[in-house]
Amino acid sequence: MNTIIPEVLPSSIPIPEFVVTSFSYTLYFLHLVLNRVPGGHYVTSYLSKSTHDDPYRTAVEIGLILYGIYYYLSKPQQRKGLQSNRPNLTPAEIDNLIDEWEPEPITDAAETRDFWRLAKIPVVIGSGANNYINFTRDNDKERFENVFNLTSMNFLQLSKKDEVVQVAKQTIKNYGVGACGPAGFYGNQDVHNNLEYNLAKFFNTEGAVLYGQDFCVSPSVIPAFTKRGDVIIADNQVSLSLQNALQLSRSTVYYFEHNDMEHLDAMLTEINESEKRENLPAIPRKFIVTEGIFHNSGDIAPLPDLVRLKLKHKFRLFVDETLSLGVLGKTGRGLTEHFNMDRASSVDITVGSMAVALGSSGGFALGDKVMSNHQHIGSNAYCFSACLPAYTTTAVSKVLEIMDNDNSAVSKLQRLSKLLFDKFNKNEKIKNFFEIISDENSPILHLKLNDQFRSNVFGYTQELLYDTMVQLQKKSVTNKYFEPSEMEEKFLQDIVDDTLKTWNVLITRNIIIAKHETLPIVPSLKICCNSEMTEEELTKACDNIVESMVSLCSTQA
Amino acid sequence: MSTQANQTTVPLLGPEILSIESKRENEFGSLTSKDYLHQVKVVEKPLAPPVIDTPPYYILLITYLNYLILIILGHIRDFLGTTFQKKKHAVFLEQDGLAPWYSKFESFYIRRLKMRIDDCFSRPTTGVPGRFIRCIDRISHNLNEYYTYPGTDSMCLNLSAYNYLGFAQSEGKCTDAALKAVDEYGVYSSGSRSQIGTTDLHRYTEQLIADFIGKEDSMIFSMGYGTNANFFNAFLDSKCLVISDELNHTSIRTGVRLSGAAVRAFKHGDMKGLEKLIRDQIVMGQPKTNRPWKKILICVEGLFSMEGTMCDLPRLVELKKKYKCYLYVDEAHSIGAIGPTGRGVCELFGVNPKDVDILMGTLTKSFGAAGGYIAADKWIIDRLRLDLSTPSYAEPSPAPVLAQITSSLEIIMGKLNPGEGTERLQRIAFNSRYLRLGLRRLGFIVYGTADSPVIPMLLYCPSKMPAFSRMMLQRKIAVVVVAYPATPLIESRVRFCMSASLTKEDIDYLLRHVNEVGEKLNLKLNTGKSSWDGKVQRWDIEDVIKKTPEDCKHDKYFVD
Repeated sequence: MNTIIPEVLPSSIPIPEFVVTSFSYTLYFLHLVLNRVPGGHYVTSYLSKSTHDDPYRTAVEIGLILYGIYYYLSKPQQRKGLQSNRPNLTPAEIDNLIDEWEPEPITDAAETRDFWRLAKIPVVIGSGANNYINFTRDNDKERFENVFNLTSMNFLQLSKKDEVVQVAKQTIKNYGVGACGPAGFYGNQDVHNNLEYNLAKFFNTEGAVLYGQDFCVSPSVIPAFTKRGDVIIADNQVSLSLQNALQLSRSTVYYFEHNDMEHLDAMLTEINESEKRENLPAIPRKFIVTEGIFHNSGDIAPLPDLVRLKLKHKFRLFVDETLSLGVLGKTGRGLTEHFNMDRASSVDITVGSMAVALGSSGGFALGDKVMSNHQHIGSNAYCFSACLPAYTTTAVSKVLEIMDNDNSAVSKLQRLSKLLFDKFNKNEKIKNFFEIISDENSPILHLKLNDQFRSNVFGYTQELLYDTMVQLQKKSVTNKYFEPSEMEEKFLQDIVDDTLKTWNVLITRNIIIAKHETLPIVPSLKICCNSEMTEEELTKACDNIVESMVSLCSTQA
Repeated sequence: MSTQANQTTVPLLGPEILSIESKRENEFGSLTSKDYLHQVKVVEKPLAPPVIDTPPYYILLITYLNYLILIILGHIRDFLGTTFQKKKHAVFLEQDGLAPWYSKFESFYIRRLKMRIDDCFSRPTTGVPGRFIRCIDRISHNLNEYYTYPGTDSMCLNLSAYNYLGFAQSEGKCTDAALKAVDEYGVYSSGSRSQIGTTDLHRYTEQLIADFIGKEDSMIFSMGYGTNANFFNAFLDSKCLVISDELNHTSIRTGVRLSGAAVRAFKHGDMKGLEKLIRDQIVMGQPKTNRPWKKILICVEGLFSMEGTMCDLPRLVELKKKYKCYLYVDEAHSIGAIGPTGRGVCELFGVNPKDVDILMGTLTKSFGAAGGYIAADKWIIDRLRLDLSTPSYAEPSPAPVLAQITSSLEIIMGKLNPGEGTERLQRIAFNSRYLRLGLRRLGFIVYGTADSPVIPMLLYCPSKMPAFSRMMLQRKIAVVVVAYPATPLIESRVRFCMSASLTKEDIDYLLRHVNEVGEKLNLKLNTGKSSWDGKVQRWDIEDVIKKTPEDCKHDKYFVD
């Protein structure tokens, strides 16, 4: 059988005889083979029909099949086109390139421009949660004794009580220290489960989930519920823990002006409208993310407005209450109690710490049952990390029991917080230099230099800092550094040192690491009070601090 | 009033009333004979590539069929459920304008596959996770939808906890130290390390860890996962490259993702592939711009927790020096448990710790405490103290945990109770070798190197996981079963975590029961690939128990 050369080829092109014959034979045998293969005749009939109708189509199809084979056999690296401009190098050239490559050192040199900070970290002898402490600094070069401590964040001091200590000791005697396993594999002990029930009951939610460290909770909880395409709108003053969480969430992140509810409303409307335009197959998950008491400023999120907006725009509300649980509200139940609201119906996810007011270790997330259960499987820091030591959980359970029966520690803390706030807020001398940005209910008082003083002495404004940081971020410079801001921090540290050396009173800077912060933060001073202080002690210490501040600022000005 | 029998929450069980001697025995069995000790020696010859025994094809076929049936049934149930029982399936449906917490597709594996065997996971326990563990009994209802707790417990042989050296104890030197720390320092912390949280105890612990590991300085953190998850962003950025073993732990991945560094993975343990990758990356540099990478960091784990294999450290150090890369070794599972004196993989392979740039480890496992550490040269640690986010933003380690770390470390180093540390190390070495060789001789497929205390035994079919776990629980043995996504899809396994607290007789008990269950479940699939003489192993249990204790001390019986 001879195959006739398709007529579409112009006869003027001379085709050698052997091409035609070999082509015919190949086709003939292919035909035979295809007929033997079950279902093969469909292929042959399709081929003959399509060649007859449209020979160009067959040519295109053959081309496609050949390209497919080529694509399959080609190396993945070339296929991606990612490194397509890879030059053709000889082995000698490759060796040269490898020899030439000089990496940067693994970290920056230790002694650089911000190295002074290391010498300012106090090393406490005994516990740093006591009100009078002995400590050393700068590798034992400086020693301080019986210093009045205004830096401790153990606000309620309830875990110091003998009953709590006894419970913790008894637990160590029954359970040992470590839990030796993650929650999924026998690490969850009855005391862990019971603390979860107790937390949920105390804060009136359906469920609670324990984590090993407070700083890890948000960066694990948020990514467990978000994926690409989901929407998060966050306050632009949130702490580093939440910034990390937003980075890991994979979602589209927007920021609204700090505690500015009108701006938030406008942005939510805009987000929802653009979503409507896109006509998505399913609604994405949408979260508003904020903090109870802000880490970097000490003010309070306006919960009633947030809840109104979340309901209006169908968002969920995430609140990081690391600093506000145990502190705000009549019985220390946090932000919701402060505004007389019910937690279960107003906040969807609450994140809290057991290492701050509750006086033990670890963190937790509160919320409804479905959400809590999903964390047991979907939240990395829960699944892939060992459980907390048993004694930390029984200590918290006991503290919660004490708080439930007696709110005297909470109310005393609130009284002292107000006192602390008034001491500085009503002082006209302080107002010449400082601005008080925290709320009167916050046990941490944040003081930052006022704009006028800052621009006079350090020659920059908050806006300039913001612009510089944005510029540096755009160039993806990792060691973000801004000289005037560093000078300001040094000046604040001078105030800390002065109060320490002159009055034996310890306060602290708000410790931030510029290279990690994606949001610009102005340096500030922090003064913390706790419920074990007396009003006289606090008043006296405040007067001393004011004196130091005013004298140092006056010399600068 | 509700009776205990229908309680749906985990009850708080009080401690058992026992004499101090029985309590001690329950937490840490005393040594029955000096023959059951093994001193680990430094590995001198290069590490052989791991031998992976493969089961017959019909097992793979059954495994895939198993998944196929589960998935098809799951989809049918999903379809019927969302059509006819909307209320019951409301969790993944939209509700008054809010998207569900998780979508139907995302949660499919969890709802339709994992849920069926949920009773094998998260079993609540009480008391010390030592030689025995008290599992709280629970009754499953409606395919594990909820449980009820009758208020009883079963004492199980513990092969589930990371209690490698047996320091999970509630009496003894470590407990005394922890109790003393509660009195002196309290259970609370006061704020971040940089603010006020650093105490003299922190500095002492850090120096002790550095001395133990052989580095100039170290830092400790209150959570092992958090150590890794917030570590890499202190010194890496998008112009740096991380070359990572494909089986590295999630915490490393999270940390690297947070740093924004580029990541390339190499096949687990494949040193040739790694070298090729490094060469390619140095030549090609960053994608698009082709500029050279600022730094290249090789990330590996010392002992891989799901495989029981170790990294080839001598080769890694060689490669790192040759190509000027940096090396990061996560010793989460290996520190304390591996090496002649418990100093981890560096010691086992005779590598100078100074040749590894950064050594990370956890304190949860061998030391019976909690948290993690980073050890490196002093200038690096000084820099990291300022640049890491954890010390400035997170809570510090609490004092009782620090006391547990220092006291257990001092015991291992021989500073406290000389001889005790050595015995613990020799016991875990013997126990691991005995169980691994014993299981292989019985005919099971076991992964991992001779000295690794993590002993994964392959089950393959997903349906054999719950069967194995439940049958072992009936026989009062607590085991951990793991499956996808922690392992490759078909390689479901049970992971025995060895401990120095077990006696040889405990392992005999375990071997007898695993033998019985293994026969019922058709798990003896060993093809002889990983046995020293290349023959299919199907020993009788009595022979195994008689001969293995002596044989397991010889390296010739372990090919990988």
